Amino acid sequence: MSSLSLSARPTSDLPDAQVDDARIRRLADLLLAVARTVDPEVAAEVPSSFEGDPRLEALRTVLLEQDRAAFARLRQKVDDPQEFAEAVSAVLASAFALAASRDERLATILAPTMERATQASVATNPKTMVGILYPLMGPAISKSLAETLDSTLQGLNQAFKHSFSWQGLKWRLEAYRSGSSFADVVLKHTIVFRVEHVFLIHRKTGLLLEHVAAPQAASQDPHMVSGMLSAIQDFVRDSFSNSEGGRGAGIDSLRLGDLTLWCEEGPSAFLAAVIRGNPPESLHGQLRETLGHLHEDLRGPLEQFEGDSSILGDLSTRLGTCLQQQEQPKERRLSRWLWILPLAVLIALVSWLVLRAIEENRVDTYVQLLRDEPGIVVTGAERYDGKWRVSGLRDPLATEPGDLLAKANLAPNRVVGNWEPYQALSPAIVLKRMEATLNPPPDVSLVIYGNTIRARGSAPQHWVEKARAFIAALPAGSPRIDLTELQDVQDPTFVALRHAIQAHIIPFDSGNPRPPQEQEAVLDKIAEEVAQLIKVARGLGFSVRVTIIGHADSTGKDTSNLSLSAARAEVVRSMLRARGVAPDLLSVRSAGALEPLKPDATEAESAINRSVTLTVSTAD
Amino acid sequence: MIQKKVCVLGSFGVGKTSLVRRYVQSIFSDTYLTTVGVKVDKKTLSVGTQEVTLVLWDVAGEDDVNAIRMTYVRGAGGYFLVADGTRAETLEIAKSIQSRVAAEVGPVPFLLLLNKADLQESWDLSREPVEALESSGWTVLRTSAKSGENVEEAFQELAKRMVS
Repeated sequence: MSSLSLSARPTSDLPDAQVDDARIRRLADLLLAVARTVDPEVAAEVPSSFEGDPRLEALRTVLLEQDRAAFARLRQKVDDPQEFAEAVSAVLASAFALAASRDERLATILAPTMERATQASVATNPKTMVGILYPLMGPAISKSLAETLDSTLQGLNQAFKHSFSWQGLKWRLEAYRSGSSFADVVLKHTIVFRVEHVFLIHRKTGLLLEHVAAPQAASQDPHMVSGMLSAIQDFVRDSFSNSEGGRGAGIDSLRLGDLTLWCEEGPSAFLAAVIRGNPPESLHGQLRETLGHLHEDLRGPLEQFEGDSSILGDLSTRLGTCLQQQEQPKERRLSRWLWILPLAVLIALVSWLVLRAIEENRVDTYVQLLRDEPGIVVTGAERYDGKWRVSGLRDPLATEPGDLLAKANLAPNRVVGNWEPYQALSPAIVLKRMEATLNPPPDVSLVIYGNTIRARGSAPQHWVEKARAFIAALPAGSPRIDLTELQDVQDPTFVALRHAIQAHIIPFDSGNPRPPQEQEAVLDKIAEEVAQLIKVARGLGFSVRVTIIGHADSTGKDTSNLSLSAARAEVVRSMLRARGVAPDLLSVRSAGALEPLKPDATEAESAINRSVTLTVSTAD
Repeated sequence: MIQKKVCVLGSFGVGKTSLVRRYVQSIFSDTYLTTVGVKVDKKTLSVGTQEVTLVLWDVAGEDDVNAIRMTYVRGAGGYFLVADGTRAETLEIAKSIQSRVAAEVGPVPFLLLLNKADLQESWDLSREPVEALESSGWTVLRTSAKSGENVEEAFQELAKRMVS
């Protein structure tokens, strides 16, 4: 090994001070040479005083041998790509980690390169990238497809359900007017829901991070509910997951009656929403979006959470956006009138038609009742001026048409009658007319047999005579009236009085219109009997007339005899009147000599023909 | 407000559910223990001026057939290990559970509760293993779900350790 000495040449000949100065200079030169060796800038500026001095090279070798060897190894690593790559690979991961922890520059610098590398990989072999992304994107795509399919099926189900209902027709009209699809309109009206609770739960601890609830929503303690939800999620993952070597997905959805629980999971926390009603699938998106934003903004605090939720700040406002609800749209009041008015018109129209049909039916019944009545002939029934006008012929003795309105349930003001009078010949009307005209005694009954009216019972003579006169006056074609079964019954007192009155003959002297004096008593008797007869007749229900007939004998002229007989009758009437007999019951008739009481009387017997006789008749 | 997830762990029949039943707010039926394997209750108490809500996960007891689901323990801020003083083997099970839980959740506070202190005369648990555990740093409390002995104190102690 070579040795190094500061004495370049002997110094014994020089004084000590000079020797020291020389040594210092040599040392300075030596240090300068070292500095030139180490720093190239010094070498460029300061010229070496040791150029060509072999001792300098020896000194270099001694001082820098290890550095030169290390430098040579380093250069070898840098110059040899294989060795350089090995060296870089050893520190590359640590360098990336250190750079990433300091700031975002590494990510910014690497991003374009990564993008190009990804593009190149996809261009070269897309399957590689598909293989990489599938485990990440597969579940997300499947979930998204499932939600989309569920949403579509939800719309289809509701659309089918309401397609053929009256409401469905209304919604179809609304879809036509609004330009929306029918399924969308159906969903809008049928999806009624309310998110009642939203829990944000820390996945690792199961602790409640935040809980918001809709107004008036009943709930149990949210801390315990979140803990139990977390436990059940873990239970389901552990028990039913089919993924090997890892934990599978938890519960996405639970349904209990009208309540639905939807869970959305994130890396550090999961959202659980309790929904009442029929929520739209789009609500999944809202929950997922909220959870995503929370993880973006609070990644660090969520990962570091150990029970102190104050580090997360106020989360209630964010979760409050998930408290959505959709109520049943209320019916507009205007629409009620839109259907009430036509309905009222329709009801009124139907009512009018029904009432009119009912009235027509009643009028038909009324006409039929009229036609069944004897003495009425209906010739027409039609509506006129809002009323019914019934026309025809009516016997005055027939039933009053107005009396039949009640039987047909018709109001009198709804029908106007137009009747022409006529005489009906039907047995019933003839019977009525007979009763009205003859006023039959109580013992007489009139019964119709076919086209015959039979009178039965007993009646006084005068009534029977009236009945015969009535029959004689009937027009041709009338029913036959049979009086053969009628018994003629006379009152004995009446018969006796009539007999007594008609038996009186009041003689007169020849040519004298006044009866002789001795006839005064006879006249008194006659007046008394006539008074009694009138009384008896009234008691029997009829009146009588007494006809005073004047007679004359055949001597003398006929005209004189006629006048004389008339005078004799008038005198007797006057004398009876003077005795209290009502003059209107007395009538006179002059028979002259034409009705002698004894036509073949002799001169002596002719006095009987100069007389006044009386006849009694019933006044009816 | 601070929340902490607290697990109540132990062998089958050591009285875990009875221990917490009278002292916590509960809305769920015990049938969850036999179906899902856990029931969640809540207890709120104060540690100094700090209000702490303990969300108690009463995990179904471990036996020869069913091991504790470690999923339910994940994220716990502390836990109770419950053993039955009348059954010495439950202490061993508690020790076994502790080792597994510590591996899952790390060094979080926990208390060993030797339950059924009201049946002290029937205990078959010797003092040595308990003292050994205490000397290794475990905190051991003798509790009774029947008399309420040390129950409130246990909750209070664990809460204090978790928030300190």
